Amino acid sequence: MTDRERVKGEREPLRDPATGAALPQREQPGYYPGFSTLSQKKYWDATTRKVVEERVAGHRLGQKSIRFFTHAEAATMLAVVDRIMPQEDRTEERRIPILPGIDERLYENRLEGFRFEDMPPDQEAYRLAARAFEQMAQTLHGISFHEISIREQERILRSVHDAKPLAAIELWKQMNVERFWALLVSDVVAVYYAHPWAWDEVGFGGPAYPRGYMRLEEGEPEPWEVREQRYEWVAPADSISDVEEPNGTDKEHQTYPGQGGTH
Amino acid sequence: MSLFEYNAPLLGDVGKPGKPEDDVHRLGSMQQIKVAPPRFKDSDLIDYAIVGVGSAGGVLLQRLARAGFKVVGFEAGPFWDTERDWVSDEAGSHKLYWNDLRITGGEHPVALGANNSGKGVGGGSVHWASFVPRFHPSDFEVYTRDGVGADWPISYEEIEPYYELLEQEMPVAGPARYPWGKPHGHPYAPHPMGGVGDTLIKGCTKLGIPVSAGGPVAILSASHGDRPHCIYRGFCIQGCKVGAKASTLVTHVPDALKNGAEIRDNCMVARVSMGKDGRTDGVVYFDAEGKEHFQRARAVIVCGYAIETPRLLLNSACPGHERGLANSSGTLGKYLMVQAGNVILGRFEELIRMYKAPPAHALTEEFYETDPKHDFARGFAVQTVGPLPIAFAKQMMASKGVWGWGMRRAMMEYNRWSALGLLGEILPWEDNRIELADGREGRHDARDRFGLPVAQVTFSLKDNDKKMIEFGKNKVMEIMWAAGAVEVVQEARYAHLVGACRMSKTPDAGVCDKFGRTWDVPNLFVMDGSVMPTQGSANPGLTIQALAARTADYLISQNDAIFTSSLRDMTEPPCRKSLAPPGTFRHGIPHLR
Repeated sequence: MTDRERVKGEREPLRDPATGAALPQREQPGYYPGFSTLSQKKYWDATTRKVVEERVAGHRLGQKSIRFFTHAEAATMLAVVDRIMPQEDRTEERRIPILPGIDERLYENRLEGFRFEDMPPDQEAYRLAARAFEQMAQTLHGISFHEISIREQERILRSVHDAKPLAAIELWKQMNVERFWALLVSDVVAVYYAHPWAWDEVGFGGPAYPRGYMRLEEGEPEPWEVREQRYEWVAPADSISDVEEPNGTDKEHQTYPGQGGTH
Repeated sequence: MSLFEYNAPLLGDVGKPGKPEDDVHRLGSMQQIKVAPPRFKDSDLIDYAIVGVGSAGGVLLQRLARAGFKVVGFEAGPFWDTERDWVSDEAGSHKLYWNDLRITGGEHPVALGANNSGKGVGGGSVHWASFVPRFHPSDFEVYTRDGVGADWPISYEEIEPYYELLEQEMPVAGPARYPWGKPHGHPYAPHPMGGVGDTLIKGCTKLGIPVSAGGPVAILSASHGDRPHCIYRGFCIQGCKVGAKASTLVTHVPDALKNGAEIRDNCMVARVSMGKDGRTDGVVYFDAEGKEHFQRARAVIVCGYAIETPRLLLNSACPGHERGLANSSGTLGKYLMVQAGNVILGRFEELIRMYKAPPAHALTEEFYETDPKHDFARGFAVQTVGPLPIAFAKQMMASKGVWGWGMRRAMMEYNRWSALGLLGEILPWEDNRIELADGREGRHDARDRFGLPVAQVTFSLKDNDKKMIEFGKNKVMEIMWAAGAVEVVQEARYAHLVGACRMSKTPDAGVCDKFGRTWDVPNLFVMDGSVMPTQGSANPGLTIQALAARTADYLISQNDAIFTSSLRDMTEPPCRKSLAPPGTFRHGIPHLR
């Protein structure tokens, strides 16, 4: 059974709270239906347009471009990133591939400019984690991480989020678990929210040079942006990731991998 | 077909059509400069080798070239053509940062790279948000006033003329009257408000806290020479393609090149070389192909910022300087500082769209000074920040612990969030430091691709710092609630990097004197954020450039004595306005006499 069949087989279908009808998958989730940053690309400078178009085209290559992870690691990590950034509410052709972006960063050794002294280099951290996730699934369920149910995967991930891994303790002891979790989630969101479809989802205007903005206050849209249209966006009812809870790292003044500049 | 003929944008392609010539660099949407062929050979004896062409190095290069010195700037990163190399895109801007490995630790480790370190001509000024408040007079005598930190070897009055000068050279947009520190005005009008600035103003006004709207920021609110005004696209920290935001790349480097300075980009200086007479005789560097060179120079100025400067001096250890160059005091690499940079995020019922307008556009310094009612010395500022989606997603992870469907849900509210930054003064502590990685964990990454040991950074907060952060964070949260937020969360983090080669009144207390001249080597200077003994709650960029301009005046006044004499003349130089880039003096700076 593939992951996707499991999704369909095991979870409550998405339902519209108003009508109770099953929700169709959307081409564009989020509260800005009809908004398309890519539709504005004629207004972007040529260099930016090339970078964004290559990103969209490159992502279509999907798993073919995996060079850093081994076949087995890729199978595990694909299942992991599918839970960190689930996309079952998107139609299949509008899902944003994430693992290739992480794989490329690790293969090309594109660093964030530092590593924590209690962490191995990023590449070692990912290989160690791929082993640990797989071992957790084997210990707890006797089969591979990518074969267990989504709910089981989420339970394993949540224990790592909480810095209390349910199994593979010896492997997890080899690095700071909170820091690895932050590295993983940072890498995943850095790929997903770099994609124009994700910009459309959250209502971000995308590249804005040389045109710029003229409507700066009160959340006013530019004439080419769209107004927000609220509806109740529901995640699968059985998911344990649709929660907000601080992870282990929130206790003290802590630093995350890949923090960008602010002020 | 060249990149620039490809499907021309509807608003017109910016810059020159066709393939850009290698020697022409477009700096912003209007300015172009022609780069002359290399002027000097390694075997030529140049006057000044400047290591790092960033905030300080860019200003020094310009001043010294204009004064007629033979000067070469060595820059580890590329010489940007902003039309060709920069993008209006968060993920695509990664190359602006110093991404080479550093190892960070201590009890409260500091994030490096994108958070605080630039690479390429212009350095960190390429990706700063460009808030440019001055330091307050009290910042120069923290030890005298509060018995903590250190005093500077200079006073506010000594740097003030250079604040005024650089505010015009950048130039700075800000309010008509800036009430904190020594009150002053600004040469360019303040910027219009965005949603985040409105949050700060609303919250502060509700609580009766004075607030500054529209600056001070080094972003043009009206065009200046061949630099156009801001277009409010919000990508300041991804590099300003417009050319409206000041960086030394667009403000000082063009004038430096016109006056005969040479920049060797993609050249990494490996060590400062010492001659037999106790003076430096040049620098050893690796070029873009990794080939090692030695450039002879009569004096060297290290402008590599608070990690690379001490790293270079430590890596330059040699007989007679076994602990590193200019380290007879033992303070090299010590007293490293970062500011508390907690980001307080507030969700509102109404839309904000915080990606519009410069992230830096309003602030308050009402809590800057020591307040006897508090249980800590010194204080903090509160400033606007405007994270784009990737940065915001990481903040959601850090502040709310979200992942999976929770992350997707949180991010769909992106346009309803506003973000304010705490900028708090962490005091200088000896054991917050830069050292060379020694590979003690048995890892292969303790050396870079040139075989040079990488920097090991150690950072921990002390009691005063923790109390300041706790109070400051809660104050910013209070402002956010008062602005009408329905949910308020926060991410702990740091901003900026200064110290680690501090200037001092006496040779036993620091690395260099008040002009950046190292105490141990008379023709070796340090000039960048690393010379700061304390940091205040002001973003350091303006002060770094002001100090660099002042040191340039000193070097020019001393003239050949720098190259030939070991006498240390501490006479304050005259402030030479004549050395400013052309077009600087169209506007004045109102100030209190």
